[in-house]
Amino acid sequence: MRKVVNKRMESLLRVTEITKKFQGLVAVDNVSIDMKEHTIHALIGPNGAGKTTMVNLITGVLPLTSGKVEFEGRDITGMATHNIARQGIGRTFQNIKVFPTMTLLENVMVGGHEQAPMGMVKGIFDIKGSRKEERRLKEKAEAVLTRIGMYDLRNHLMKNLPYGRQKISEIGRAMMNDPQLILLDEPAAGLNPSERAELVEVIYKAYEDGYSFFMIEHNMDVVMKISDYITVLSFGRMIAEGTPGEVQSNEEVIRAYLGSRYVEQDKRRDSYVKSEWN
Amino acid sequence: MKIKLKPLHYAIATLALAAFLPFFITNDYYMMLLNRVLINIIVVLGLNFITGLTGQMNLGTAGIFALGAYSSALFTKYTNLSPWLGLVTAIIMGVLIGRGLGYPSLRVKGVYLSLTTIGFGEVVRLLIANTPKLTGGTQGVRNIRPYHIGSYQFQTQKEMYYLFLVFTAIAFFCAWRIACSKWGRIFKSLRDNAEAVEMSGVDIASCKIKAFTVASIFGTVAGAMYAHYMGYINPSTFNLDLSTNYVIMLMVGGLGSVTGTIFGSAVVTILPEMLRFLGNYYQIVFCSIILLGAIFFPDGWVSAVTVLFKKVYQRAAKGHYAEGGE
Amino acid sequence: MGTILQLLISGIAMGFIYALVAIEYTLIWNSTGLLNFSHDKIITVGAYIFAATFIVKMNMNKPLAIVLTFMLMGILGAVIASGIFNPLRHMRSNIFAVMGTMMLGRILAEAIRLIFGPVPFTIDNWLSGTIRIGTLMVTKANVIICVVAILVVIALQLFMNFTKVGKAMRCVAQNKKAAALMGINVAQNICITTAISAIICSVIGMLIIPLFNISTTMAASIGLKGFSAGVIGGFGYLPGAILGGLFIGVVENLAVAVLPAVYKDIVSFVLLIIFLLVRPSGFLGKKA
Repeated sequence: MRKVVNKRMESLLRVTEITKKFQGLVAVDNVSIDMKEHTIHALIGPNGAGKTTMVNLITGVLPLTSGKVEFEGRDITGMATHNIARQGIGRTFQNIKVFPTMTLLENVMVGGHEQAPMGMVKGIFDIKGSRKEERRLKEKAEAVLTRIGMYDLRNHLMKNLPYGRQKISEIGRAMMNDPQLILLDEPAAGLNPSERAELVEVIYKAYEDGYSFFMIEHNMDVVMKISDYITVLSFGRMIAEGTPGEVQSNEEVIRAYLGSRYVEQDKRRDSYVKSEWN
Repeated sequence: MKIKLKPLHYAIATLALAAFLPFFITNDYYMMLLNRVLINIIVVLGLNFITGLTGQMNLGTAGIFALGAYSSALFTKYTNLSPWLGLVTAIIMGVLIGRGLGYPSLRVKGVYLSLTTIGFGEVVRLLIANTPKLTGGTQGVRNIRPYHIGSYQFQTQKEMYYLFLVFTAIAFFCAWRIACSKWGRIFKSLRDNAEAVEMSGVDIASCKIKAFTVASIFGTVAGAMYAHYMGYINPSTFNLDLSTNYVIMLMVGGLGSVTGTIFGSAVVTILPEMLRFLGNYYQIVFCSIILLGAIFFPDGWVSAVTVLFKKVYQRAAKGHYAEGGE
Repeated sequence: MGTILQLLISGIAMGFIYALVAIEYTLIWNSTGLLNFSHDKIITVGAYIFAATFIVKMNMNKPLAIVLTFMLMGILGAVIASGIFNPLRHMRSNIFAVMGTMMLGRILAEAIRLIFGPVPFTIDNWLSGTIRIGTLMVTKANVIICVVAILVVIALQLFMNFTKVGKAMRCVAQNKKAAALMGINVAQNICITTAISAIICSVIGMLIIPLFNISTTMAASIGLKGFSAGVIGGFGYLPGAILGGLFIGVVENLAVAVLPAVYKDIVSFVLLIIFLLVRPSGFLGKKA
């Protein structure tokens, strides 16, 4: 279990002026984010803004063109993905990456593989030791599943579970290594309203248990309901950041999402109303 | 009274059955088939780690098998030491091959990996065939000494059978332990979705190499057994057809199934012999059966039979309730 | 110098053979996503049908035999496509597809052995003789191979760019769902593609009769080397297939001048492995 950390002064994840160029196309342009401990930080913006690219840069899946990524004060720029994960970062995937041929429980247990340090050769012959290790891993996975409310589905094959369950299970898998930070890539995409409500509950309960979340999301209900701080990207550049209230009323954000026509129409309607009144 | 049958009970029963089998077999030819089956089981147990669990295509198994056979045979020939040390040489060779094949498999996927492994198998065969000074070339290696304990040599088919049964039981035990452990789970997850495994902190490169190394060790050990069993090896045996046969054995038993390897090896080794009564047509019938099996029973024949049994059982249960209920 | 030129010419001729092999399996790969491991046996079937049935048994004149062989091979290709390729390409793992095509190859080889007998043979007066070009003596076979190969490539290009069926084939190769939505019968198109591939296989079969005796294993090595050609030139890309084939043919033959002749067969496999590790997209392929 995570211990609850109340101070929000320490920087948990800091990306400094990171840029990613793909042969002429600038996917991420000089973006800086400073995420504090024990917060839920959302990254929003229109499609193609570079949000998933940002997550891939942070997790080392893509190499940076320039910039720095620091986690808990440690420089993780350029580290291999599995080493970044071992620093205490977990992740879910936009188009879920689960293991369909295994059960839900086994899927989550894979997430905790690093918690079981016994080598292969020793594992063959030390029957008692390896059984104990497996049991501990299984108990931890069952505990995680209980926390996300899916304990009774644990023996179902992953491919037989509904899409929403598979998505939420990825959060459970990410929790197995007790990470400080979990990166969520569009966790609400493809969920119906009741599943979305469950998702919000799971995230918030985990937050109360001490996890921090960095979340890419399109669904404004979810974002506005649970984020502490929001960064807005458009065409790879940061155009706004602030609390949900600040971001909601930011004109440039409205323009980037809704398009300037709506702003124009509102202005025209206002002048029409004014003329009617006069 | 319901007795819960654990895997251990099945294993003991199968072992006992296998131990008594030779008493019912009078023909040395059938004993030879059984010995071949045992060797093949060990190869397929290894192949299962690459192709069955980790999902990487391997059509170069004959190359691994050949390197095991030749390393043990040449070692014992040039140093005149015991074949048991030849076995150790084969194991070392297996570790080397594991690294050698494992690293390319990290960068090469899908159809390219099929072609790379075919290339590997062919290069091994051609190199062995064309370096006569070292390997005897196409003439092969003769007079390979059989295994012995002290002055007792394992010469007859039945003697070799019991020795090989011990080897196979050990190999099966190791394969079972690995496949049913967290390693089996990780290998399967690598087959399903490798990137997700990385974000759980797992070094997938080292896992893939582990899978290849385990598979190669099984392959080279089986190769060494083959060399000291036949007494004579030559490169024409270790061709693409042999590699293909091993993959067929794996498919018939079911990809990823450790117990299936026994069934698959037995079927592919013995069925062609049983079909000999068809005369000239036995090969084509055998290949057609395998092809139809690949299209209709991709999960292996055992799973097809179990699915059939389940359906029959369910129908019978329904009928029972319809009559007896209400 | 003379020997180098000789090696070069026979290398180019072999290169064209490898190029044709690469083309025929690339057609199937592009339209079905299957690597046809039975292609060497299909080549062999083509050679057998031509040589054994029409020439030896029925003693018909060669042009008629060629046309009839094409027709029969086309039908064979369509049958294989609908009976085996179509179910295989829907399977969830490419392991089953590979095994399926390999088994098909074995079945074809066995069928050949049962129908035509296991004894290798050859036919006379087919692509035999030599021509004098300047100071060089070149076999007629080599010249005809080059000419025929170029004709096949040109015909294929015309077909795929200027006929409705050919254009449909290119659509199916790029995006099956979109092609189906545009009203193209994908399954039928795959049958046509396989039929064309089988006809090209029969061309290869006829061309290699003077080089290898007619037997069930006559095309085994060129089948595998054809795979190397496709990878080296650029997998899935027809111009790459041609370039790769010529490259292997020439390098292989020139290597004989440097290495002992026994290592000739290893050259193509070593090249294959090097390319797969270093530059899997080949010479002309797009870098992934």
